[in-house]
Amino acid sequence: MDLLKKIFIALGSMDRRFIFLLVGLSVLLPKLYPDLFTLPIKASSHSQRVFDEIDALKEDSKVLVSFEYGPSTKPEIHPSAIALLNHLFSKNIKVYAVALWPDGNFMATEAFSQVADGYGKKYGVDYVNLGYKPGGEAVVKGLASDIRTMYTVDLLGNDIDSIEMMKDVKNLLDLDFIFSLSAGYPGSKEWVQFACDPLGIPMSTGCTSIQVTDIIPYVENDQIKGILSGMPGAAEYEQLVQDALNERGIVVSPGKASINMAAQSMAHVVIVLLIILGNITYYLTRKSGKKGGM
Amino acid sequence: MDYMDIFGVWLSVFLTLSIFSYLYKDNPFYKAAEHLYIGISAGYVAVISFWQQIQPNLFGRLWPRIDANADMGMFKSAWYFVYEILNWVSTLGGWLDRSIFPANGIKGFDGISWIYIIPFMLGIFMLLRLVPRLGWLARWAIAYIVGMAAGLRFYGFLNSDVLMQVKAATVDFSGDWWSIFNGLILLIGTLSGLVYFFFSKEQTGIVGKISKIGIYFLMIKFGASFGFAVMGRISLLIGRFDDLIVSNSPQNYYATLWILSAMIVLLGIWAFFDKPETEELTV
Repeated sequence: MDLLKKIFIALGSMDRRFIFLLVGLSVLLPKLYPDLFTLPIKASSHSQRVFDEIDALKEDSKVLVSFEYGPSTKPEIHPSAIALLNHLFSKNIKVYAVALWPDGNFMATEAFSQVADGYGKKYGVDYVNLGYKPGGEAVVKGLASDIRTMYTVDLLGNDIDSIEMMKDVKNLLDLDFIFSLSAGYPGSKEWVQFACDPLGIPMSTGCTSIQVTDIIPYVENDQIKGILSGMPGAAEYEQLVQDALNERGIVVSPGKASINMAAQSMAHVVIVLLIILGNITYYLTRKSGKKGGM
Repeated sequence: MDYMDIFGVWLSVFLTLSIFSYLYKDNPFYKAAEHLYIGISAGYVAVISFWQQIQPNLFGRLWPRIDANADMGMFKSAWYFVYEILNWVSTLGGWLDRSIFPANGIKGFDGISWIYIIPFMLGIFMLLRLVPRLGWLARWAIAYIVGMAAGLRFYGFLNSDVLMQVKAATVDFSGDWWSIFNGLILLIGTLSGLVYFFFSKEQTGIVGKISKIGIYFLMIKFGASFGFAVMGRISLLIGRFDDLIVSNSPQNYYATLWILSAMIVLLGIWAFFDKPETEELTV
């Protein structure tokens, strides 16, 4: 028993760099040997809600997609963006992109270039990228009253009035749905507070994991119609979209989030084990009056 | 693959591994990558904010495009003379190309919006912070921003975060048993959490007991937040590993492998010669 105790205490005082190495390996191994680490993906009620809301939109509906993330949070949110555009374009829904983050311009451009051509969608007719405007909630409020007070040209410098799909759009009330791809401030919260709640426009979100506990009260209260929570949420939505499109005869390969979920799960297992180990060590060292190093 | 593309891949691998090198300890690679990241981010945001907002939406409203042949009158001519002075300054006396203030005004809006002189002036006041004698004028701009932001956010919070959430915390007794149970937990959690933050009465007796229940609910919230934060960080790590694996392909001349090896050797040499007083404290 004493030996076991000593082992636990020794493990507890191990160098933190070994923990980083363990976590790194738990991510790297499933990436290098994906066949050994396949795990099923089951959609949560929140992801299912997002899918149902988008799927219920009619052809030629107008959806505003706001890109509020950048390269630093791309792995968590970009898969949601790709799956969302696949879903929207497969249903011939018109997409209006804006960015509340400067890096959102890159993300939007990349997402459209990845998806639009596959569905034969034309810029200005089926989708438009209005680009970034600084101001956060002031921009959202401006869009709610008159888009043209905020945007006179799109991201490519085209006069907004010369764009075909902008002709019938004066403000957010002319749109059917808002989807916020959010990594923080300004983001989903601002869309709820300054657009969706005051105007009654339905909205869903795909956000970073760290934001989930802040956003979930809006979801539970139906102010936001479903949430894609970080990479797991993106993977679930990817799976739902892939199944739906395959049923319609459109072949879509598995998304990036789905591929990465094994690595995510393995890392979680390692972290949980380390937390348990840390607690045992803490308990033992406290009991024996020593100070643990973990 | 283009050589510039390959250089871009090698650079991104170098910067990623430089940031990761902090896991070993603070070192020159990490510091260089950190400074570069902050500098580029700040520069990029400044440039894009200027060209996406200030130039088209502020200058464009103050000096919209005009017909060069039309008779403008003395006042308007004087106003556009100011525009030409600004152009002269921005092009360093005509040395640079005319881009911020194009000839005959900025395309986008029809008439001059005089009200936009106020934000224009406040913007100038903000910059005056760099001039010690006139720095006090920046307070006006800051006061406006704080006041406007507080008012705007108050409206949003009151509606979406207070009124609608209070409504959501009510228990619907017409639902099934499970939803009533859930509603009651939510109500107890909300009320006890609020009592914990009620500091006008000493937290003893019944108030203390209720606030203790509030602490448990808060601990659950913090636990969930921590879990989600860990989940998010692991997702980002996966993203970087994805890029490092792709960058290690033969097309990229095994960028990850080469840079990682070189970095380990250089960090080893650096650690060997590093003075002990710069050693970081152990956790």
